[in-house]
Formats: sequence, structure tokens, C-alpha cells
Amino acid sequence: MIDNEHVVDDLAAFALGSLELAEHERVAAHVGTCAECGSRLAEYRALVGTLPLALAPVAPPADLWESIRSAARRAPSRPPVWKRLAVGGGAFRVTRWLAAAAVAASIVTWNVRLQTELTRYAQGPQVEKLARRPARLVILKGAAQPQASARIFAAVDGQSGHMAISGLPSLPATRVYQLWFLPKAAPALTAATFTVDDDGRAWVVIRVPTDLDETRSLIVTEESVPGSAAPTGPSLLEAHEWR
Amino acid sequence: MNIEPVADLELLRRVRLGDESALEALYARYGGLLYTLALRIVGDRELAREVVQDTFLRSWNGHETYDAQRGRVPWWLMAIARNRAIDLLRSRSHQQRLRERAGPVPEMPPVISDDPADAVAARRAVLHALRALSDGQRMAIELAYYGGLTQTEIAHELNEPLGTIKSRTREAIEKLRPLLAPLIQSMGGPRA
Repeated sequence: MIDNEHVVDDLAAFALGSLELAEHERVAAHVGTCAECGSRLAEYRALVGTLPLALAPVAPPADLWESIRSAARRAPSRPPVWKRLAVGGGAFRVTRWLAAAAVAASIVTWNVRLQTELTRYAQGPQVEKLARRPARLVILKGAAQPQASARIFAAVDGQSGHMAISGLPSLPATRVYQLWFLPKAAPALTAATFTVDDDGRAWVVIRVPTDLDETRSLIVTEESVPGSAAPTGPSLLEAHEWR
Repeated sequence: MNIEPVADLELLRRVRLGDESALEALYARYGGLLYTLALRIVGDRELAREVVQDTFLRSWNGHETYDAQRGRVPWWLMAIARNRAIDLLRSRSHQQRLRERAGPVPEMPPVISDDPADAVAARRAVLHALRALSDGQRMAIELAYYGGLTQTEIAHELNEPLGTIKSRTREAIEKLRPLLAPLIQSMGGPRA
């Protein structure tokens, strides 16, 4: 029996993604610890998932799959390393070990490169150079995580960018970090989800969902995979001004 | 719609290994549904196309990871597409959103489904359930789900008290629960 101490009155709007940010956070915090409300929410989410089935089907453009395939080839899938090592057995053992050695070497090279990149960005001059207008530089500092920081370089087209992160703790497989743009007069917009390596670092491509000049803050929160429709966790990193 | 969960999970596993044919199979299975949903939300073919492409690419490049606790694969894909579409809507002004939503969605040829009987039956079931709602309840659901409006924004839009909108939303979902339970269970969803 779900009583008034629970959030059942707001679960329907929560499942529809229709709560204000503060209410959304309150409900998310409750369902994370309440099996009854969590179960009811799963029902509501399944129900909401059937709503689009009522729409009159519309055929996608004939060339849409080709566009997706072309874009996928430009941004290859990233299978886990251990899967990439599983390239054969028996007669392929030598090939497998050669592949493993090559992967190990590339990991070392990647780590060295990442270390160099992050060190360089921590020092700043290259970012300063890159950040000259019309591109933008945003530095996020640790709120709940004082040792953590991130730097965003927003590309000249204003639609995308890169973010270097350091100092965030690794997450379990069910959790993910999420970058948010908080517009001056609209709900939060998601820009990226990401995880960090064992050293707390990551380098990710982000989407710039709205004009930085119309944004009051950028924050990073921790969310359940695959990410949330609105921030539910406390702000771990944040920026309120940028160049 | 194909509703075999094992097949979907196997396709997702292969997608994560870089199997392009698995991505194509997922697109063939759900691309039409995602495009229909995206077009309903953003009301623009080019933007809908962008949403669908982004949805599949995010599953391809690992930016989105499937979580079985969030429901079956098509619901997960629809949630990604819906979030991306709502993000696009919210990046515009509220008034512009209202103007866009007022415009009719252009008619297009219907999708030829791999399993038209399933698709037709599912659509009939959801339409039947939605018809059980009052106009006010249906409006509250549609403005929230397809319009991306918060409860406060819906109250303002309909010039109704916020409490009324919250009640209508809750009552609508509760009324839909028993009506859609058979469909949801047939799709492998949780039991009410």
C-alpha cells in the first residue's frame, strides 16, 4: 500500500518528464530508495512508452538510413577492449597475442597522450589560444567535488565542443555523469553523458544545446544510465561565467 | 513491431561490438516508430531526421547505454529520441514552441511494418485506451509528453489551476493503467 508519505501523486508527471526541476529532484531521490514507488514508476514508464504507438505511422525519409550509416562510419562504435582482444583461438593464437600487444601499446600511448593533454589543459595557454573568439572556453570547478574540474572548448560553429575532465571518482556500471546547460529562461538541457577512467579523467565530445550567452550555468551531475531528462543529483561541477 | 526481447538485446550487443548490420536491423525495426515520435514532437521533418540519426548514433558510439531497469529496448530508444526532441523544443522560446505545435504535421505515406498485424493491434489498443480519457486529461498527457511542457507550463497554457492539471495527469495515467496492462504485458513490460 502506497501512503501519503510516498510520491505517488507526482509519479505520473515524473514518468511524463513534466515536473519542475525541484519536484523532479525530490521524486527522483525518493524512488531511488523506495521499492514501492520504484515499482509503480516502472509501470508508469512502460505505460508512457506505449503512447507513441497511437500515432499514425509516418515513413522516415528514404535516405535516412544511409545518413546514419555514413555518420556511424565517421564515428566508429567503441567496443570494450576485452571484446576486441577476442579475435580468435587455436590457429589464431599468435594473431590474438599480436593484437593484444598492439592494443596494450595503444593503451599506453593513449594514456601518455591523455596525460599530456590534461596536463597541458591544466596549464591553460593552449586552451587560451584556442579559446580566442569566436570559440568559447568554459571552466567548471568542483562544487561537491572540490578536487575535480573540467574545461569545455565550444567549437566555432556553436553546436559542439570538447570537454576534458579530471578529479571525478569512477562510477558503477549503472551510473553516469551528465553535463547540463541551464538556460536563463528554460529547463535544463543535456549536453553529454560520460564516465571517467580509473584516474578520474575523461575527454568527451559534447553537444552545445543552446547559446552560451542565453545560459546562466553549466553543471555536471551524477545520474542513472542512460542519463536523465532533468538533473536529479547534486551539482558536482559548475560554471557560472565564461569567455 | 517486433516484440522479441532476446533478439533486440542480441542486436544491441552486436551494435556495441561495431556490427553495422545489427545497427541497420535495429533501424529497420524501430526507425519508423522513432521518426513518427520525433516528428510528432518537433513538427519538422529535418529536425525529426536529426533526432532519429542522433538516437541511433548515441547507441552506436556508446554515449547511451541500455539499462534493462528502464524497460525494453524500444522504450529505451524512444526515451532517448523523446529527450533529444524535447531538448530541441526547449532550445526555442516557449511562444515559438506553441506556434510550432499549433501547425499541422504534414501527411506522409504510411510505414509498411514488418509485422503489420502487431502494429495495427497495438495502435488500436492505445487509441482505445486514450479515448477513455476526458478531453482535459488527454490534453494534459499530450502537452506533457509531446509538448515537453512542465505541469506549471500546462496550467498556464490552459489557464487552469496547477492542482487541476496535476490531478488530471494522475487520473489519466491511473485510468490508462488497466486498459493498457494487457498490451504492456504482451510486450514484456511490468505487471500492474
